[in-house]
Amino acid sequence: MSSSDTLDVVLRLLALFGVFLVFPLLVGQMEHKVMAHMQGRLGPMYAGGFHGWAQLVADGVKFAQKEDIVPAEADRRVFQLAPAVALLPYLLVLVAIPIGPGKAVGWYIDAGIFFVLAVMGVGVLGSLMAGWASANKFSLLGGLRTAAQLMAYELPMLLAAASVAMAAGTVSLPGILDAFHWWWVPWQIVGGLVFFTAGLAELQRPPFDMPVADSEIIFGAYTEYTGLRFAMFLLSEYAGIVVLCGLTSVLFLGGWHGPLGADGLGWVWMLLKTAVLAFVVIWLRVTYPRLREDQLQKLAWTVLIPLALAQIALTGVVKVAIS
Amino acid sequence: MNIPGSGLAKGLAVTLRTLTRRTQTVQYPDAQPELAPRTRGVIGLFEENCTVCMLCARECPDWCIYIDSHKETVPPAAPGGRERSRNVLDRFAIDFALCMYCGICIEVCPFDALFWSPEFEYAETDILDLTHERDRLREWMWTVPEPPALDPAAEEPKEIAAARKTAEKMAAAQAARETNEANEANEANEANEANEANEANEANEANEANEAKGDGA
Amino acid sequence: MSTHGVALASGAHGFLSPTGVEVAFLLVGLVTLGAAVLTVTTRQLVHAALWLVVALGGLAVEYLLLTAEFVAWVQVLIYVGSVVVLLLFGLMLTKAPIGRSPDADSGNRPVAIAVAGAAAVALVWVVVDAFRRTWIDLRGPVQGSTEVSGEMLFRYWVLPFEALSVLLLAALVGAIVLSRRGKENEAEEPRRKEEAR
Repeated sequence: MSSSDTLDVVLRLLALFGVFLVFPLLVGQMEHKVMAHMQGRLGPMYAGGFHGWAQLVADGVKFAQKEDIVPAEADRRVFQLAPAVALLPYLLVLVAIPIGPGKAVGWYIDAGIFFVLAVMGVGVLGSLMAGWASANKFSLLGGLRTAAQLMAYELPMLLAAASVAMAAGTVSLPGILDAFHWWWVPWQIVGGLVFFTAGLAELQRPPFDMPVADSEIIFGAYTEYTGLRFAMFLLSEYAGIVVLCGLTSVLFLGGWHGPLGADGLGWVWMLLKTAVLAFVVIWLRVTYPRLREDQLQKLAWTVLIPLALAQIALTGVVKVAIS
Repeated sequence: MNIPGSGLAKGLAVTLRTLTRRTQTVQYPDAQPELAPRTRGVIGLFEENCTVCMLCARECPDWCIYIDSHKETVPPAAPGGRERSRNVLDRFAIDFALCMYCGICIEVCPFDALFWSPEFEYAETDILDLTHERDRLREWMWTVPEPPALDPAAEEPKEIAAARKTAEKMAAAQAARETNEANEANEANEANEANEANEANEANEANEANEAKGDGA
Repeated sequence: MSTHGVALASGAHGFLSPTGVEVAFLLVGLVTLGAAVLTVTTRQLVHAALWLVVALGGLAVEYLLLTAEFVAWVQVLIYVGSVVVLLLFGLMLTKAPIGRSPDADSGNRPVAIAVAGAAAVALVWVVVDAFRRTWIDLRGPVQGSTEVSGEMLFRYWVLPFEALSVLLLAALVGAIVLSRRGKENEAEEPRRKEEAR
């Protein structure tokens, strides 16, 4: 490995780390402001001077100053390890998401879809560890709900992603984008909706946030957390939004493909699609009330999985017909 | 017409529409709020009207009005009359830490000595400072706004109705008196005219007589 | 084996001049083994499940080092992402205590050790005997990519694959039957209570 290669790798990792630190904050700030305006409010207005742009920085400073408390009865080591387990997978996933044509990807992975979905599933382990190790019944309930939710949503997500992989004839994310045509969007739209919905459920975003339902079980698995560890859980949620939106745009919306300027400005299209999807995530959160636990399971098993299977059938039929 | 999912779409439309509209938030320290008329901010005391009847202090549900007074004797207005005693206000204080802004004191005051003022920025760091003494209550008096105009179709206020009735009655009485007087005056005029005519005739006759006399002289 | 399969490279490798990947493989193997031993020896139920995560993750890394990328990610997806989550779900449902579980041991310990040891010896012996002189060329083209795995699976090993799916289907049907019978029992219970009165 020559020195320029090493430099290339270092630069890529640094850029990724920057994206990992900045984009979730951008999404968080967007959530503050969009949610506020959708509710007829202004949202944060003071931190940083201009329309509260530094609110999340201020929040971070506040979290850093808080005491790091571990409950006396808790399983200390697991309790302290859980936030890292929740956060790191999303950092790893970012590596595999291509933002432009050619080499504009952190690391070319052959089985990209499997990598991404596998590692995202690992992130849920953090919530489970937190839920069990807190020695708190609400945390335990939150952990149980997290696990049940993951069980229900991993399958439709995988099936929807498999449909795209079938269409493209590859499981690598850049490969899927290379094979993309505009008419894939209407072709795979059902799979895209299933994937996005299941992803929301996996991230525990409203309306699928019953694992942290504050009116029922306080804050689920995160009830006992304070300070930086709590901030890491929050950050992992927003990093999860970035990852989910990026993945959805890569798999179903053509990533860096756009009506014009796909070569030079591909990354602009990618960022634009991701941002619009992140807006939709927030929009859904503001609009819909939380589902009940049984409603969520019913939705997953009786609606999303059949839809995903139908999408796979459709993909197969069309694939055979055009080849 | 019930397309599945139309309710979900409607919800999304509502939030999106709200996003494009002006927000409801009032940025209070930067912008003053627009207060409703008759806002209950603080109570002002117009102590010239106070007779220390103690009604307000007695009706106050949480006993937050403190009144001290003494009696003074006033010498008789006219010589030989009886001496009168008069209440003099020594202290009038409202503890706004206790006050629950029910407004009963203002309602019961028979002499219009207490008023609502919309001022509300009198938070203190010491709870004792929330007891506003007489001079502070008097300062609030100058912030009391004019009562808002009545609704166009509103019933006439009782006191104005009463005043108007009295005025009308007096006006009617006046009018009646005037017509009477006018009648009398008419009669008197007619009499006068007759007199004047007589007198004129008489005068003419006298003049003529004088002239005749002068001619004759 | 296909032409893409495990390449034969005789004599070029030896145990005395290990490459970086080989050292990493050995270290990760040790970690995996340690985690596996801890999984079965720890007295804390949830810790056992978490050590299992480490062991399974270590296995995935081993697959990666052997350039079997697809198998590695599927290992993570299925075992770490789903099986362990299911395991933890079950442990939480039984309200696994924090700290040691005094009743975690069973009397079958010697038997279990014997079975595990026998299985390990058999596996190691079979694998070593089968791949004694086979080396994977780590610097050449990837030999465990999705394409290669798919081709092997659906061209040479289709019959076992289908047999496995029938097995899974049978398990699925069995699970549904079992859960339905449980419901009937529940329906019967109130009647029994009525009779008892």
